Amino acid sequence: MTMSVKKLATAVGTSVALMAAGQAAAEIKIGVAGPMTGPVAQYGDMQFSGTRMAIEQINANGGVMGEELVAVEMDDVCDPKQAVTVANSMINEGVSFVVGHLCSSSTQPASDIYEDEGILMVTPASTSPDITERGYELVFRTIGLDNMQGPVAGDYIASQNPERVAVVHDKQQYGEGIATAVRDTLKDKGIEIAMFEGITAGAKDFSSLVTKLKQADVDYVYYGGYHPELGLILRQARQADLDATFMGPEGVGNKDINTIAGEAAEGLLVTLPPSFDEKAENKTLVDAFQAKGEDPSGPFVLTSYAAVQVIADGIEQAGSTDPFEVADTLRSGSFETPIGTVQYDDKGDLESFEFVVYEWHSDGSKTPLN
Amino acid sequence: MSEALLYFIQQLINGLTIGSAYALIAIGYTMVYGIIGMINFAHGEIYMIGAYTALIAITGLATLGVTWLPLVLLVALVCAMIVSSSMGWAVERVAYRPVRGRHRLIPLISAIGMSIFLQNYVHLAQGSRNIGFPSLIEGSFRFGSPENFQVSLSFIQITIFITTLICMTALSVFISRSRTGRACRAVSQDLGMASLLGIDTNRIISATFVIGAALAAVAGLLLGMYYGSIDPLFGFIAGLKAFTAAVLGGIGSIPGAMLGGLILGVAESMTSGYLSGEYKDVISFSLLILILLFKPTGLLGKPEVEKI
Repeated sequence: MTMSVKKLATAVGTSVALMAAGQAAAEIKIGVAGPMTGPVAQYGDMQFSGTRMAIEQINANGGVMGEELVAVEMDDVCDPKQAVTVANSMINEGVSFVVGHLCSSSTQPASDIYEDEGILMVTPASTSPDITERGYELVFRTIGLDNMQGPVAGDYIASQNPERVAVVHDKQQYGEGIATAVRDTLKDKGIEIAMFEGITAGAKDFSSLVTKLKQADVDYVYYGGYHPELGLILRQARQADLDATFMGPEGVGNKDINTIAGEAAEGLLVTLPPSFDEKAENKTLVDAFQAKGEDPSGPFVLTSYAAVQVIADGIEQAGSTDPFEVADTLRSGSFETPIGTVQYDDKGDLESFEFVVYEWHSDGSKTPLN
Repeated sequence: MSEALLYFIQQLINGLTIGSAYALIAIGYTMVYGIIGMINFAHGEIYMIGAYTALIAITGLATLGVTWLPLVLLVALVCAMIVSSSMGWAVERVAYRPVRGRHRLIPLISAIGMSIFLQNYVHLAQGSRNIGFPSLIEGSFRFGSPENFQVSLSFIQITIFITTLICMTALSVFISRSRTGRACRAVSQDLGMASLLGIDTNRIISATFVIGAALAAVAGLLLGMYYGSIDPLFGFIAGLKAFTAAVLGGIGSIPGAMLGGLILGVAESMTSGYLSGEYKDVISFSLLILILLFKPTGLLGKPEVEKI
């Protein structure tokens, strides 16, 4: 009796496994890795919102080579250690294409694994130049680089003829990278850098830093990092009457900074990708997002949409789901996406990507300055 | 006054503010250690929960239309103290009492587990994002000419400092004068003997957890307002810093916790002010290592006498 039950169980198990395998052959898995939880989860929300919409629309239009796209979503918490775990789980899931990761510090370790295992990845948000500096074949992005964004910020600050500028960063790959680019641009223009200093991500007390900025009598403070820390710096600076203009990269440009900084967020300058959702040709897509009750205006929503689309078009044009063939197609072709025409250089970076300086307001809206 | 001096004074004020808050949290570590000789690593989370409760109370009152500041602060404070104290009591009851008297490592591991549990519980219940905390107490005194560097002493900094002083004085009086306080001292000197003399030691141990948690809740409300945002992980670093403060001042000693907190706070702000903010945590944890190496009993701690 016991034996027969066991045999039955094995038989059922095997047939279920076979059925699952049979189904898998008729679909293409797209891994999506980014933070669903943790301090920067709102960027992950943008990413998942973009990829879900792209996958839904591509499937509604008949899929890719007649096959359906299926998302495999995983949470890396923007933590490099977790990113490695997620990358390994992607391999176990049999994924060949990944949209992600979001944070540069997660993308970097995960990309090592993807490259080794022959998985093609397109990050919709990681802007650290290091990621594509290693000669990897399967790493792409649908976003610009820090060394494109830094000079835009640096040029803007220089054009305002400031006397003294402070550059602060959170010592992380993204923040320090971009802060260094800003500092170098400013130095080339002969602007005095009064301070170049790191803070600890996750810290809450910035009273000493603010005092120091006040003492240094700076006109501009550039902050390389994310919004939780800058929000607090803005608020504590306002309390201490620090009279300086703050500027940050797209990592600070989301509405959560308003809940932390409140009124102090007024007048903050942010470099962001241009608002793709305001382009006329994206009208139908924007309507589709709004019909679902989602907001397509976040900086990573449409880059994530574009990442899925680039993968899908790449597979279609290559006529194969082999990541290496798709990678070759991506490097040679050009693709029409909501973020414009995408063309790749040999490293897997976009040939061109624009950043715009915005002025942020305390109600979470923004106005372009250049 | 010269600008350099004003700058020094401002950094000193920053340091003393943060230091007195560390001291409030450190009390919880030091009292528990003084009585049962264990480090309650979940204490930082109790502080974080205090801050969350206060925020919920403030938001709740705002929706009800209550805006009279003293009332809002009082309700937030009382709610935070009640929730944190019950949490402190429950943690002791659930995680520490069953393993009390075993090998020292066992309650320690239990405490770390409790800390992870509470962090993740708040992650789930409140979400993991940074939530803005209303300032409530705004405004400041300013010294120095407006053209040059101005020292600002904000009302919230004064509030933090004065509240800490009141809490510390009240606690000292309580420990030295009241019946429960006397029992606390007896239990910390010799738990077995105190029990033989008819002191309900379980009740006293629970009381230390409750007092420590209530003070941590006060710190949670004050620092929430001072910093301006809270998140489920912010108790962890604060807990480590307060623990460092407790060890620095001499773990088990209440004036030691106060002194340790202030020294640590000032050391941190001076490091950020004159070196670089990057070295802030390096300095505070180097202090911990140095004190453990050269004066393991801390500045005001008494050398431990082996009881026979």
